[in-house]
Amino acid sequence: MKFVKQLQESIEKHADHNVLCIHNTFYTYRDFAVEVSKIRAAIASNVEPQEKLIGLVTNDDLQTYASIVALWLEGKAYVPVNPVAPIERNHKIFELTETNYVIDSSERSIYIDYHVIASKKLADTEVNLNSRQMSGDQLAYILFTSGTTGLPKGVPITFDNVQGLVNAIDAEPEFNLVPSDRCLQMFELTFDFSVVTYLFPLLAGSCMYTIPKGAIKYFYIFKLIKEQRLTVLTMVPSIINYLRPYFPEINAPDVRYCSFGGGALHSDIAKEWSDCLPNCKIFNYYGPTEFTVYSGFYPYHKETHQKAHNGIIAIGTPQKDTLYLVVNENNEEVPIHETGELCLAGPQITPGYWKNEERNAQSFFTREENGAAIRYYKTGDLCFKDEEGDFLYVGRADFQVKIRGYRVELAEIEFHAKATSEKKVNMVALDIMNNLGNAELGLAIESDEFDTSEIFDYMKTKMPDYMIPGHVRFIKEFPHSINGKINRKELKTYFDIN
Amino acid sequence: MNKEEILSKVKDAFVSVLEHENFQLTDETTADDVDGWESITHMMIITEVEKAFHIKFKLMDLMNMNNVGDLVNAITSEIQ
Repeated sequence: MKFVKQLQESIEKHADHNVLCIHNTFYTYRDFAVEVSKIRAAIASNVEPQEKLIGLVTNDDLQTYASIVALWLEGKAYVPVNPVAPIERNHKIFELTETNYVIDSSERSIYIDYHVIASKKLADTEVNLNSRQMSGDQLAYILFTSGTTGLPKGVPITFDNVQGLVNAIDAEPEFNLVPSDRCLQMFELTFDFSVVTYLFPLLAGSCMYTIPKGAIKYFYIFKLIKEQRLTVLTMVPSIINYLRPYFPEINAPDVRYCSFGGGALHSDIAKEWSDCLPNCKIFNYYGPTEFTVYSGFYPYHKETHQKAHNGIIAIGTPQKDTLYLVVNENNEEVPIHETGELCLAGPQITPGYWKNEERNAQSFFTREENGAAIRYYKTGDLCFKDEEGDFLYVGRADFQVKIRGYRVELAEIEFHAKATSEKKVNMVALDIMNNLGNAELGLAIESDEFDTSEIFDYMKTKMPDYMIPGHVRFIKEFPHSINGKINRKELKTYFDIN
Repeated sequence: MNKEEILSKVKDAFVSVLEHENFQLTDETTADDVDGWESITHMMIITEVEKAFHIKFKLMDLMNMNNVGDLVNAITSEIQ
């Protein structure tokens, strides 16, 4: 596997460089190679050869990162579990993947029912970063996302999938990491965005800076930008929402790249943020877990590239070897400018949800194109393509609701509600069922109560009356999911309209 | 305003945001010691504290705030 070989070469070549900064302690690629070698030796001597899926407790330490590389060199996949997630959920994940072995760097492991490899207590061994033979269809990792049925949904990603991602980023001339880069790694390793924030720095010989668990993330990130002079930021947009009141105090000339993903990037805040990073290229990345992190991006620039729809920055074009297709309910392509569901095809597509045939039948379809059968993943995101070939994000398919028979895009209501409001607060539009079984619109505002008449007067000039929310609730703090996304389902419970 | 008075107003801010009183605030108290004190509520606590003392923190003060003692020191230097 080419990228695993490249990892070996990079680790060997950059032995004197720093690989990680964790809690103000620096580790070199040499330190990293030692840990990788110890862990892989333990895997080789303890784990049955047919066992391919190995649990990994995602602590914030050198051993946990080394474990990922060690598993790959041994041709095995990591199944990450977050140590602060409910233990029951983690057991469920191991049960679903039939995982018997767990790599755990904790002082005392709580996974007593499994064969635990205590990665902090291993004997010294000779450095060996040669990878075993493996085939590209073997798994590199499985991540679990929340499923609608309450059971976590597994997304397996193969070595070929990861290679597809690496090839696509290598082909992108605008983005090139170098060994002197200092890169933010703010993500929990159970979150798929983390794959790009550890893999690309490792391949380039750059240094990663992690966020200690329990730290206030956005302030710690600012501290790293300021004190460690980070050069590469990869973030979810919500981070800059928190920092927004302090933008006038932020000036970070060292930052070269800032990539966003994992949520809609709004044009007003992107412009203000871009003023804080005078020498930086901003990328608005798009991609679901099912397509190995990234599928494409839009190169934002506050003066020259600011294409947006309803205030949300474009997601641009597909990257190398990736195909985008916008379809209607019958999986048929729709014309330019028409909104439909975005579907993705190419080498990064997952083989399918883990042991979930029913879900796979819904989420994947095959289409004849030029005599070949192309397999597409349905993202659940609504988009349209413009005449320049850029794709624009409209909203989640499940956020498209029918109100009095009209199709309504909740994101559009949010856009107009926020447009005139002087208070820079979060607003979320929701469809609430009334006791007649009809959907009504609610607007949740993350704030203390204030007078909304101006907001509503403005909305009435922009949208037909069926799109004006009939219910408003002020909520001090929106409920969030474990990945920091707003939990809309729980928000709806604040609207007792019957 | 002495330290006890500051600490008591700070506690009010915590209670109003977190909506419980199951905690003690000392200089060494960190987010790990208080239920519900995490990234999102931290921002709200800061806002409450700013309102209560009629001050506005600098980002530089906030980034080095690791425990309640740091918070109280930052307040003290702002209200002087």
